[in-house]
Amino acid sequence: MGITKHPRANRGRSWVGALLVAGLGHALVTHAAANDSDRIAVLEQKLDQSLQLIRQLSARVQDLEADKRSGAVAAAPPAAAPQPPAAAAQPGAAAATPPDTAQRLAKVEQTVNQMAASAGQHAEEGLATHGFADVGIGNHNAEFSKYQGADVGELDFFLTPRLGSRTRALFELNFEVGSDGTVGVDLERAQLGYQFADSATVWLGRFHTPYGYYNTAFHHGQQIATSLRRPRFIDFEDHGGIMPAHTVGAWLTGSERVGDQRLTYDVYIGNSQRITQGALDMNNAGNTHGSTIVGGNLGLLLSGTLDGLKVGVDAFQTRIEDEDQSPSYVTQVRSFGTYAAYDTDNWEDIAEFHVFSNQDLTGHTGTHHSDAGFVQIGYRAGRYTPYARYERGAFQQSDHFFAAQTNGSSYYREALGLRFDVDLVSALKLELAETRLTDRVIGSYDEALLQYAIRF
Amino acid sequence: MFRSSAKLLLAALLCVGCATASAADLYVICNSRVPLSAADVRDLFLGEKQFAGAVKLVPVDNSAAQIAFLDRVLKMNAAKYSTTWTKKSFRDGINPPLVAGSDAEALADVRRTPGACSYVTTPTPPDVVVVSRL
Repeated sequence: MGITKHPRANRGRSWVGALLVAGLGHALVTHAAANDSDRIAVLEQKLDQSLQLIRQLSARVQDLEADKRSGAVAAAPPAAAPQPPAAAAQPGAAAATPPDTAQRLAKVEQTVNQMAASAGQHAEEGLATHGFADVGIGNHNAEFSKYQGADVGELDFFLTPRLGSRTRALFELNFEVGSDGTVGVDLERAQLGYQFADSATVWLGRFHTPYGYYNTAFHHGQQIATSLRRPRFIDFEDHGGIMPAHTVGAWLTGSERVGDQRLTYDVYIGNSQRITQGALDMNNAGNTHGSTIVGGNLGLLLSGTLDGLKVGVDAFQTRIEDEDQSPSYVTQVRSFGTYAAYDTDNWEDIAEFHVFSNQDLTGHTGTHHSDAGFVQIGYRAGRYTPYARYERGAFQQSDHFFAAQTNGSSYYREALGLRFDVDLVSALKLELAETRLTDRVIGSYDEALLQYAIRF
Repeated sequence: MFRSSAKLLLAALLCVGCATASAADLYVICNSRVPLSAADVRDLFLGEKQFAGAVKLVPVDNSAAQIAFLDRVLKMNAAKYSTTWTKKSFRDGINPPLVAGSDAEALADVRRTPGACSYVTTPTPPDVVVVSRL
């Protein structure tokens, strides 16, 4: 067994630490200056301006009406009028008759109505675009620990076009930095669906594999996730995750109210994934041997005193081919999971646990058992959310499925973090973590990470 | 004399009652062709209920009354509501409610859009359905 060391980490630790402290301190101080009083003062000022404008416009309307009644010429606009129409200020236009004024008003009204109708139509039928982005700095890269310093996390767009009452579509395009440091583009999701009812929507295409809770709840949405990054074992495939985060196939999902509770379900089938270059690949184009991943997820959203609590179970089975070997090595992977998530005004607590029972179909070494899980506790105290997470993965290295993956070694990770909501759409996160690798290589490394994440 | 005084008192009480009610009331309204119950309102505005029978529902937020609505019906503030919809939209691929700027705009949206539902602070004309009065 080797020892993992990160020689550059110590060299860069001091300046990165200084930057972290300075950056966080500066952000907090700056933000403290823009306190509620300031914002209220700005809002009051805007309100005063609006009232002033309303008064001016009202006066202008009264003048116009008075002119109309008397048949007099509107010789000059009142001094209070903010932006009198150019025509009204000119002698020629001043000779306009009341019918002209009425026509102009009617035309303005018609234009406004058309604009309002057009805006409404666009809102109902247009292409809604949303997205996330994040950048970071740390003594290690949060995803690829061999790097340090500043990093670009990702830029993620997701589109939810309004296509009709039952036809649905969801596309997610992600620009992210890969393990080689270059920016890659990934069609994260491409789903076309049909909604039969609230209780049944069928999606076809590439989707987030609905195991556990975290993978579908947050995925690339770092701004909506409390913590700075995903648990290591459910990270994205190309970031070293050892579970298939994406599936290409068909997915039936829905929910149904059962009394005061709500039952949710997912059933899916798709291309089985493969291992190539030490990482899982979801076989976007299909696979060459016709094998599938089949799985499901059953959840229950509770109400009453347990409002905000969701509990569930999930399972999937797939046949993974390691194409880095020649001839390829095949493992039948079975995963069984359970999860709980408690999301209220103050608490966000998440726990997931998965066990694996993988059968070696090539080497006939039998069935290997492994497990992985995490517990995360977060408490929302106004704009601050301190959180703690403990995660571990205990992966049998005699199991070819894990042994073939670059990040398939067993580990523990403990993390303490603080999320600060700068405003509704942006968050600053600081995380201190220790990761210990326990079998393929023995070693550990500490991380101090800062991330700025937004949504739009 | 006594009867007229009693009528006057009754009228005054009714007026006071009306004024108090109208200051606090919130009406959840739907297009006349929407079969929706009061129990469905929360699910509707959180994206959990998208159909009423065969009718595709179109929730419309009314920014003029949103704070009261969120407080009384959804029991959450605007920030939590926004985040909830971001998560919902990201996970399920559905869009948050359209937003009207006033009672009049919300009423106009509900009238012209089949399946539309919103909430207003003023009593509504008979061509829309009042699902619940809060």
